[in-house]
Amino acid sequence: MHTVGSEKNPIPAYPDLFVWNEEKSELICGYCPSCKTTFFPAFHQQHRPGCTREDVQEARVSSGVLKSYTIQYYMPPPPFKTQKSIVPYAIGLVEFPGDIQIAGIVQECPFDHLKVGLRMNVTTYTLYQNEKGQDILTWAFQPAEPVKRAE
Amino acid sequence: MREVAIIGVGLHPWGKYPQKTFVDLGVVAVSNALRDARMEWREIEAICSGIYIWGGNAGHLSGQYLASVFGETGIPITNVYGACATGAAAMRTAYMSIASGQVDVALAVGLDMSPEGFLGAKSDNPRQDRDVLRWRMVGMSNPVYWALECRKRMEKYGTTAEDLARVKVLLSQYGAENPNSRYKKIYTLEEVLTSKMVVDPLRLYEICATSDGAAAVILCAAHKARQYTSQPITVAASTLGSAIYGDPTIRISALSSPSKAEAPLLSESYSASRQAYNQAGIGPEDIDILELPDNSSWHYLQYLETCGFCGEGEAERMLRDGETRIGGRLPVCPSGGFTCFGEAIGAQATWQVVEVVMQLRGQCGSRQVQNAKVGMAQTYGLMGNSGTTILKR
Repeated sequence: MHTVGSEKNPIPAYPDLFVWNEEKSELICGYCPSCKTTFFPAFHQQHRPGCTREDVQEARVSSGVLKSYTIQYYMPPPPFKTQKSIVPYAIGLVEFPGDIQIAGIVQECPFDHLKVGLRMNVTTYTLYQNEKGQDILTWAFQPAEPVKRAE
Repeated sequence: MREVAIIGVGLHPWGKYPQKTFVDLGVVAVSNALRDARMEWREIEAICSGIYIWGGNAGHLSGQYLASVFGETGIPITNVYGACATGAAAMRTAYMSIASGQVDVALAVGLDMSPEGFLGAKSDNPRQDRDVLRWRMVGMSNPVYWALECRKRMEKYGTTAEDLARVKVLLSQYGAENPNSRYKKIYTLEEVLTSKMVVDPLRLYEICATSDGAAAVILCAAHKARQYTSQPITVAASTLGSAIYGDPTIRISALSSPSKAEAPLLSESYSASRQAYNQAGIGPEDIDILELPDNSSWHYLQYLETCGFCGEGEAERMLRDGETRIGGRLPVCPSGGFTCFGEAIGAQATWQVVEVVMQLRGQCGSRQVQNAKVGMAQTYGLMGNSGTTILKR
């Protein structure tokens, strides 16, 4: 899977957060086998008090359930950057195996289809293109079952 | 520990003052507090001051900048930071410096100048600053976090759009009567319900604006308080709380939270308030007025539960039944709250204390809570910061 891009390929806006290929995208969480916590991003560790913090592992998640969502109607300030204004856009909180909920932009989902309980997959979203013409990516969520649009 | 009383309070009114500096605002607030305490600057024995991130290095040294204007006297200056709970950290530090016996008179100051609109990130290193990551990768403004929690509450308890709007309608009536508030318009339910959607389900008038303001509190060893005032207000508790692992809140700055609740929602505020009840030896049933952090309508409802004023899912009923009105069982934010003042982040916790003091002294005119004897100021800040102050007369 891609972790960093090549000159022609898309690259993540910041590394070590997610991996992706044509079939699947995954978020990179950290898992602590000593105190049984899962956290995201993996480089921002979170442990229970008293944990020895040994042997922290990588844990990847790709599919979960929407637990909350909002629709943001105003363009956020920098360092958020997109090619064009994307507002209004949805932000979801998705629950993954390992007892963790993670926030991200929601794609491919009409606002009236947003519903707590909806199954979601991790995907990528192109924020903008850099001066070399490479797509700059972030992670996003999209419904596991493609939403049928009314004709 | 020695008993501590508040003998002087002062504000700079909340608003937007692009021509002023945080020092200008602070000087007005401190001057008003000194006048209120009928005290000379030289009598201050310690300064505890704080501001949010927009003051740069000057902000990190806000106490020194104030001392420079009033005249440097060599006393200990502690500059504090706790995000939106910065003012509570100033209060507790000032309180402890007197309670411990180190000094007899201390000044707590909260100050702020805010940029317009959403509050963005300050550093540019996502590896160490969660703030950068949440902005760059998701565009998560602070109100997004509040909206995500608000949606969870609506799913769980059936909170309605009217409940959220009702908070603004009620508080706008109090803010209209407060000479220090920024927003003085009284709103109808329909006006709030048709205001612009910002972060669904929260509308423009259900989220506080960002303001400039300053608040100063002079604390004194209780045995000396009557040298300065006939109405000393006793500090029954001044606490700080931080988060507890297992808190399911999606906290500002974070990109994830645990799914299973092993600690209360808003655990930092649960912790600060429970410490305060223990320290004061009084419980929520004894509180006559409450200033809570109504950053959004969701906060107003959630804080009633978090601080133990009602059971889970009961806050909407308290609001609908008028229990939180002036004249009700527990008047909440008789100042008008953040919705009428706007957030002046470093200043707001200290400002809440000033409002409670004025209520306990009976100085609030048409928004006075009759016969208020015990008041509580509750705040919270991002990344697990909170503070509680309980005052009594």
